[in-house]
Amino acid sequence: MEKYDDQLIQQMLTNPETQRQAFEACVRQYGEQLYWQVRKIVLTHDDANDVLQNSFLKAWNGLGSFQGDSKVFTWLSRIAINESLDFLRRSKQRQTVSEDARTVASALQADTYFDGSETEALLQEAIASLPDVQRTVFQLRYFDEMKYSDISQLLGTSEGALKASYHIAVKKITDFFKARD
Amino acid sequence: MEEEKYIEELVGKRNPFVVPEGYFEQLTDQVMQSLPDRRPRAKTVWLRPVFYAAASVCALFVCATVWLSWPSSSQEDQKGVAEAVQAVQMQQPDDTYFDEAADYMMLDNQAIYACLADY
Repeated sequence: MEKYDDQLIQQMLTNPETQRQAFEACVRQYGEQLYWQVRKIVLTHDDANDVLQNSFLKAWNGLGSFQGDSKVFTWLSRIAINESLDFLRRSKQRQTVSEDARTVASALQADTYFDGSETEALLQEAIASLPDVQRTVFQLRYFDEMKYSDISQLLGTSEGALKASYHIAVKKITDFFKARD
Repeated sequence: MEEEKYIEELVGKRNPFVVPEGYFEQLTDQVMQSLPDRRPRAKTVWLRPVFYAAASVCALFVCATVWLSWPSSSQEDQKGVAEAVQAVQMQQPDDTYFDEAADYMMLDNQAIYACLADY
């Protein structure tokens, strides 16, 4: 498939004869983008890879429920983010800015697949201390510069609530850094 | 937002994460290999026992319905047969009348046998 056409892919996904080919095109088109969304939430490469694989498997098994009322990327992204948050809940990786959270920065700096400075590791530590929604909104807004309307579609939350969450998240992270000065 | 600028100036927006070499090149194949087959044929095979079970239940239901309604029609038939037998019996000549007829015609058994032997 030379060029990705969302409308054509949606049609192909509904046809049992072409859906595997169409799904492969989706993975090729959005796999990397989804990986980064997941990675910024779960932080390590191995966890991100596992969560991404599960997300695609879930999407594939739930293909019948995809009605085409949203874009393919929005649908996949929603699944990937929910899987990431479920993973965090399951593995109890929610950290606080306390002794536990400090291990996030040190663990990242020891990670082969983290190429950031100490300040960047501390930012990830501060983000990891946030509640699920604030954490996700901050990642999507700050790093991916996603519009509130798009985030709203992904998380099923109103734009007003998302703006408030982002504002609180930014305030908490600022306080985290100022407390360290 | 002032606080957002503070974070941006302090840390920036660079993505500090990296992936193993060649990871994204292999990702699609890796994902597609892990997906189960979703061909309609497999779905039909899976549904076939369910279809047979449903057909069996329907057949049982039909048999039970016919069985339960059968005794009432059988009773009617038996009643009709009994009436027919009774009617036939009523039409058959009684031995009493036969003997009376023989006496009237002054025939004894030997005369009757002789008469029958002529035929």
